[in-house]
Amino acid sequence: MIVAKPVTKILDKGEQIFTLNMPEMTFKEGAIYALIGANGSGKSTYGKYLLQQLKPQAGYMSQKSYAFNMSVEKNIMVNSENSIEDRQKCAYLMEKLKLASIAKRNAKAVSGGENARMALARIMMKDYRLLVLDEPTAAMDQESTLASEQLIKEYCQNHNCSIVLITHSLAQAKRLADEVIFMDNGRPVEMGSSEELLDNPKKEETKRYIEFYGY
Amino acid sequence: MGTAFEKAIGLIAAGDETLLNIISVTLKMSLSSSILALLIGVPFGVFLGSSHFRGKKILVVINRTLMGLPPVVCGLLCFLMFCGVGPLRHLKLLYTVKGMVIAQIMLITPIVVGSMEPFVDGIYPMIRDTSEGLGLSRGRITKLLINESRYQIISTYLLALSRALAEVGAVSMVGGAIIFKTNVMTTAIMNYTNMGNFQMAMALGIILMGISLVVNIIVSLMQRGSWI
Repeated sequence: MIVAKPVTKILDKGEQIFTLNMPEMTFKEGAIYALIGANGSGKSTYGKYLLQQLKPQAGYMSQKSYAFNMSVEKNIMVNSENSIEDRQKCAYLMEKLKLASIAKRNAKAVSGGENARMALARIMMKDYRLLVLDEPTAAMDQESTLASEQLIKEYCQNHNCSIVLITHSLAQAKRLADEVIFMDNGRPVEMGSSEELLDNPKKEETKRYIEFYGY
Repeated sequence: MGTAFEKAIGLIAAGDETLLNIISVTLKMSLSSSILALLIGVPFGVFLGSSHFRGKKILVVINRTLMGLPPVVCGLLCFLMFCGVGPLRHLKLLYTVKGMVIAQIMLITPIVVGSMEPFVDGIYPMIRDTSEGLGLSRGRITKLLINESRYQIISTYLLALSRALAEVGAVSMVGGAIIFKTNVMTTAIMNYTNMGNFQMAMALGIILMGISLVVNIIVSLMQRGSWI
């Protein structure tokens, strides 16, 4: 289990003051937690807070991952040794995410979806106890999304780690997550298993959000 | 004009001694000052672009003001420092190439900083977020940042070298345009034109443009990745 300490943080976001107010959170090994909520609810902010508090045990893949000015393959290996094991892992991830054909292409010249797949492969090269994925499949097509979700599940099981998946897709949360946390205004409004929360939300804010977005 | 042009080509082809000396002093001065300005300015520009601290905006404004420092004002400041009653008179830098290099470094370094800072400021937040998410070390992040900035550094060097080659105000005040010592292409063109020696002035002008062209070609090839 990995425990994140409670946090109350006031952030100046230019035009407004935002308060992140999260209790102590316990993340079980081998479980996927979906963090859902409207834009500006504090999901990414909390994800970054988890990284700061738990690094180096935690990894974080941001919404807009930077593509370094080198090949796709070198981008994926940027945090790896050039060992046989790492090269094999890289080849496996590229195969699964259909990046093998563009391995030698400069990462600046790839599409948004290819960049997102590359970023996912890159973060999965390392072992983390907690991995935060901030909308990892937002730029991907349906086929790539399903392949990525498969890899996320596989990673979680093989590394026995906890994954916090920040997503706008309730369907994805239902497919992947063991637990769902609905956030609003920087605080958790409701938490529960994906069936409980998504099919039978208890709080009014959660119900309104799920009705609005549907899945 | 046509005759002067032909005679200018003749001087270049013959390898006139005075001409060769002027070119040699110019290249020595410009290459030294531009490289030193780059070595000082790039780390400072990268630091300013990638940091957040109180007073950063003031430093950026000061640098931008210094970018517009009139060359003759810089020349005057250096002259007053190096002259017979100046605080640095013991260094004996007045009317020397070294003194000219120092004056040029003062002029060019803010330009180098001003070129790097906004570029790094634009890319660093994303590089930092991605790198911290991956758990990369500070050293690795710095290496990656320099790699990302390499084409910008090349462009910045071109800017610095062009500025150094074209400088006339500060170098004439600090160097004195002494023949066979501190006479560079720009000061020589000015002097020869004033004397009516258009052949030499034109010859130097053609060479100056030729050097700029060669530098631009080399940099363009480097930016296309042919050499890097």
